[in-house]
Amino acid sequence: MIRFDNVGLRYGSGPEILRDVTFHVLPGSFHFLTGPSGAGKTSLLRLLFMSLRPSRGLIFVFGENVADLPPAGRAALRRRIGIVFQDFRLLDHLTTWENVALPLRVMGKKESDYAEDVTDLLRWVGLGDRIHAYPEILSGGEKQRAAIARAVIGRPELLLADEPTGNVDPAIGNRLLRLFVELNRLGTSVIIATHDYALMEQLEAPRLMLYEGQLQASAP
Amino acid sequence: MTFITDIRDYPWTSLLAGILPKRLAGFLPRRFQATTSQIVPSASIAGNALTVVIAIMTFLACLTAGAVYMVNQSASAWVNDIASEITIELDPVNSPDIEKKITLVSLFLAKQKGITEVRPLSADDSAKLLEPWLGSTAALSALPIPRLIAVEIDRSSPPDIELIKTALSQNFEGVTLDDHRRWQAEIRTLTRTAALGGISVLGLVAAATIAVIISATRSAMASNREIIEVLHFVGANERFISGEFERHFLGLGVRAGLVGALAAAIAFLLLPVIMHLMGGGIVTEAETRRLVGSGELDIGGYLLLVLVVVVVAGLCMITSRLGVIRVLKSYA
Repeated sequence: MIRFDNVGLRYGSGPEILRDVTFHVLPGSFHFLTGPSGAGKTSLLRLLFMSLRPSRGLIFVFGENVADLPPAGRAALRRRIGIVFQDFRLLDHLTTWENVALPLRVMGKKESDYAEDVTDLLRWVGLGDRIHAYPEILSGGEKQRAAIARAVIGRPELLLADEPTGNVDPAIGNRLLRLFVELNRLGTSVIIATHDYALMEQLEAPRLMLYEGQLQASAP
Repeated sequence: MTFITDIRDYPWTSLLAGILPKRLAGFLPRRFQATTSQIVPSASIAGNALTVVIAIMTFLACLTAGAVYMVNQSASAWVNDIASEITIELDPVNSPDIEKKITLVSLFLAKQKGITEVRPLSADDSAKLLEPWLGSTAALSALPIPRLIAVEIDRSSPPDIELIKTALSQNFEGVTLDDHRRWQAEIRTLTRTAALGGISVLGLVAAATIAVIISATRSAMASNREIIEVLHFVGANERFISGEFERHFLGLGVRAGLVGALAAAIAFLLLPVIMHLMGGGIVTEAETRRLVGSGELDIGGYLLLVLVVVVVAGLCMITSRLGVIRVLKSYA
């Protein structure tokens, strides 16, 4: 599904943020991506999501070499990926419901076909009473859940999450982890970038350890 | 095929809601209201200044198109009039019995094929034609004023003008035929010049509109960069993103275009009043009428103004789409 071959990344003429990163993500797998702050987790996720180009090496997403893809091809692949950003990236002028429905709207689906699914998902993540609220009045945890709901609403084949439980209390964190596990059972590959060891302890899953820009270990 | 899909998938029912100002869109029937918020908010696209600029451009384009249309209509009417008539001129000098000569020439002409009516003008009629230049004076009767015969021809089977001309010069001394060709050619030249000038002005207006829209598209994209990034992240392609911007610019183009065209229509309606207020008298009015006919647009003219609105709106839409795609490519 995902293959990195000797990937390196540097911003401009600065030092390499990532060095010789090589790994495979198989369909239906669940991975934690961990490491200290500044190790390059977010950069690695951005490479996975094709919002950055590697300085060297090859990246294959769903079997396609991303270096060869035109913008339309990358957009088509992104529709198969859900992403949760650390800073949520919700659109302030859209309601919570509209933010969550955005990927389906982009896919060209009819509102009548997905309206119920969006409402159900928002209830499931505990935002049933915040459907019509705008992001600026949501708490950090609520924004986090809305961002997760937006990432999973389109049943992506690959889910990338950057510190998805960073702003929520442990109970909600567990609930969100259950959502990720449930999605994984339905066939979605999941990569969660986190340094929340308590979260990782709850699930037996391989860990991709990043340390000073290098993938040092891949241990369950 | 992409174009057909675009047309099919276009949210036509909510288009009206996009065109109308927000406070008016709320009064539309439910099915015409946009069900979800706009992904790119209207307020971030362009302020009133851009609407005013596009409205002024449309106003100028409509004035030009309307004026050229009126000149063209008036010239066509002239050409039609003079093409269905020829004039016979009889030199009064060396014609002791001019009245007899007029009768003879008239009888001769009436016998020719393709001539439907022969109307000799009296000496008074001929003198009246000179009144605008010489005034009404008794001295006119002392002048050797050429006598005229107006001849109507059948346009469906016209006579052989050259043959009649030759026969007249052979049979009558001092009789000439004017088939108005020179005037027709001059009118056509005038019409073409007016049309060319109009097209040049329309071209300039279109170029200015395109430049303004390109600039507005760039600034709209810069101020909505975060939204564009999020749209990229959720898998939107260039077509979708450009469609979101394009819809706003189409709405803006239609709104501003309608305002400009309406202002131009009012200007055309008030043209005679404005001329009067500016101090124009009967002569000014008569000269204007000569140039632009009745000075009022007919239904075809107003349809032309609607066409200008459609073109301006289309220009706004297409330019914004191309501008967005270009900027997106530069982001990539």
